[in-house]
Amino acid sequence: MTDATTGTKHKNLATRAGAALLFAAMFLVLAPHSRADDSPRAKVLSKKVMCMCGGCNDTAGTCNHTGGAFSGPCDTAKAMQKEVAQRVDRGDSDDLILQSFVQEYGPTVLPDPPKKGFTWLVWIAPVAAPLLALFLIWELVRRWRRRVALGPAGGPTISPELLDRARREADRESDE
Amino acid sequence: MDIFGSFALLLAFLVTVYAFIAGIVGILTRRTLLTKSARNAGMAVFGLITLAVASLEYFFFTDDFSLAYVAAHSNHALPLYYKFSALWAGQEGSLLWWSWLLSIYVFLALFLNRKRHPELMPYVGVTLAGVQTFFLLLNNFVASPFHVLASADSAGVMHLARMSEGTGLNPLLQYPEMVIHPPMLYLGYTGFTIPFAFAMAALLARYPGEKWIHITRRWTMVAWCFQGIGVLLGAHWAYAVLGWGGYWAWDPVENAALLPWITGTAFLHSVMMQEKRGMMKVWNVWLVFVTFMLCILGTSLTRTGIVSSVHAFAESSIGGWFFGFLGIILVVCLAAWYKNRDYLRSDNQLDSLVSRESSFLFNNLILLAACFAVLWGTLFPVISEWVTGSKISVGPPFFNKVNVPIALFLLFLTGVGPLLAWRKTSVDALQRNFAWPLVGGLIAGAVGFAFGFRSFYPLVCLILSGFVMLTIGSEFYRGARVMRSRDGTNLLTAVGELTMRNTRRYGGYVVHFAMVLIFVGIAGSAFNQDIQKELKVGQSLTIGPYTILCQNFDQPSNENYESDRATLEVFRNGKSQMMLYPERRLFRTSGVTETIVANESTPVHDLYVVYAGRSPDTNLPVIHAYLNPLVKWIWFGGIVMVLGTCLAMVPDRRAAMVLRPVADRSWGDAIAQGGSGSPLPSPAGSAPVRRPGSHD
Repeated sequence: MTDATTGTKHKNLATRAGAALLFAAMFLVLAPHSRADDSPRAKVLSKKVMCMCGGCNDTAGTCNHTGGAFSGPCDTAKAMQKEVAQRVDRGDSDDLILQSFVQEYGPTVLPDPPKKGFTWLVWIAPVAAPLLALFLIWELVRRWRRRVALGPAGGPTISPELLDRARREADRESDE
Repeated sequence: MDIFGSFALLLAFLVTVYAFIAGIVGILTRRTLLTKSARNAGMAVFGLITLAVASLEYFFFTDDFSLAYVAAHSNHALPLYYKFSALWAGQEGSLLWWSWLLSIYVFLALFLNRKRHPELMPYVGVTLAGVQTFFLLLNNFVASPFHVLASADSAGVMHLARMSEGTGLNPLLQYPEMVIHPPMLYLGYTGFTIPFAFAMAALLARYPGEKWIHITRRWTMVAWCFQGIGVLLGAHWAYAVLGWGGYWAWDPVENAALLPWITGTAFLHSVMMQEKRGMMKVWNVWLVFVTFMLCILGTSLTRTGIVSSVHAFAESSIGGWFFGFLGIILVVCLAAWYKNRDYLRSDNQLDSLVSRESSFLFNNLILLAACFAVLWGTLFPVISEWVTGSKISVGPPFFNKVNVPIALFLLFLTGVGPLLAWRKTSVDALQRNFAWPLVGGLIAGAVGFAFGFRSFYPLVCLILSGFVMLTIGSEFYRGARVMRSRDGTNLLTAVGELTMRNTRRYGGYVVHFAMVLIFVGIAGSAFNQDIQKELKVGQSLTIGPYTILCQNFDQPSNENYESDRATLEVFRNGKSQMMLYPERRLFRTSGVTETIVANESTPVHDLYVVYAGRSPDTNLPVIHAYLNPLVKWIWFGGIVMVLGTCLAMVPDRRAAMVLRPVADRSWGDAIAQGGSGSPLPSPAGSAPVRRPGSHD
């Protein structure tokens, strides 16, 4: 096999690969646009915007507000899902899609409150409150233990009978 | 008949006001006869409200649409059992239903304790009458279900009117579970009034010791169990009826029902600290107060529309009354606590952070954190609007992000708590008790990982579930082994005997087991799949291992509704498995549509198929199929929870037994092994045996 033959074969392979890539690209461009339910990205995004029907307090992707003509997700949620799908098909980024909804409906369209300004509180409080409670419990226990540790030195002498009774009581408690 | 019902309700109000005032005067003047009279009046209210309820039901069953409430919630075509449940379908009827259920509890609490706790019961009676007065005030003057229909003639004179047909019951409520769900939830909400009343009474009367805790333990468990059943039935109804493939959407009203259940759970655990060690007295009193206040808050959220909710059908302007009542309760609770706070001083203090006490403390902290997170997320949109003027949403993703880690930590504590001893646990005991459950949990995780549990939270949930299951199993096994070697019975009999000898403890473990099942079921949702497709006859869709072939579409109808129905054949590996018939109904009278889901449920997964209507673009029928793993575990967990709670309420079987005089080898062995100790009760009169880690 000569070098010339090999070179021709390589050239053919490259041409075929190029044609295949071109075909694939054309297919991707010309293929019918998938609907919201068929696109995983659109599905995820539709769960990042609230259904604005005002009745379900759920996301457009999981709206359970019945009674719409298209049961399951209500008409509002359905329209929002469709808009998400169209924007995904158009190639808009996630941020751009979410921002367009915020512009249309205001920040209330986002199920996750923004982590800025006053709404930071909604995120911080569920973490801060238990931590604060934990700190208080810790402090309380520390004080108790300190008091217990100091107790016998300055406290009254405990008679053997009383100690025995206390032990019996403790045992009985443990038994129950 | 309407006059009869109204009169009975008015009389009930007057009698309960009498019970309230006479009770207070009786306490202040120490006149026994007056307190007895107040108690009898409190019990009589039950009979009077029963008459009012019976009267309203009579209107429903006889299709008498002269009452506005009946005309708005029933019609001739409604099946009899829905005519019965239509009583609580709207605002006025549900409030009457609330009052009636409360009156049952009040009657039972007063009757069963009529010869007991003479210093405490007058205060209990007054507290109960106070609560009942508020609801009967609403029933009579704010939201009466006995308003008659009237029309004006040309001269403007009003005449009584009767509609020939009613509007009918909300179709969403025409489902068997809706006959059960509201009563269960209301039995929970109203049931928490009893521990509240006893806690308030003990505080006001400065009743000695932990008696109020003992008295209310079963009442609290009953209310807690009903609340749990109500929440789970609501979730099941949402899953089976709403047709969105899920069971929990963090709707404000769902959250409101969950909150008292969470604080009730905290209370059921923390009371053990007070019973065993005389600790957390203030905490327990306030837990009961808060639980009751959350019940009132819950029902006001359902009815005010202050937060947007799928339960919009119950909205009205009655919220102000509830918030006013809530304010009064808060003031009374604060005043009672402040005046008698010295009575609530702890007898003991925490000896070690590695002890049963501290595990209960953490358990309570985490439960309260969960409660706070849910309440905060539910109310934050309102708070934000007040403060900043702009409305924001707090949707399901927030609740999931915040509550999943909290719930998993709680699951961890469920496993850890029972293995720790009271007062202090040694490092040796820790190693001994935790080694095998920990290994078992890790093995469960490894198996789960091999089977595709790759997401972080579901994997952690699986590991913890395995861990908790083994701790529960080891508790049963350790106790049963001791009993078997002593009595010579087989292990199964020993487990039964053991359980019946300490029902509270082992019933509690059964409830923990139920929680594990529910957690596993919830973890399954991380692997949900769904597909929606327009289908012509002869076309199919595939989801998981199933292929769903559309066989037919038809329109079966009856006098109550019209319907669109799909006939689907389900194949697995090329073999026909079953037929499914998802349906959409249009109710004639109300014009509302309802989804009838076709759900093939197995322990592995649910094949959940919805007829989602016709596509607006092509007019083709749309089928939405879901494959939801492990959902059945949640409902099964609910059943186990009820069984466990019932078991925990059964009195212990105290066998008249005598310990063998010589130290039993296995008994000694059990003690030597440290464990959490033997569950055997000490025989009366014999010297108790010290059992490290003994607990309830």
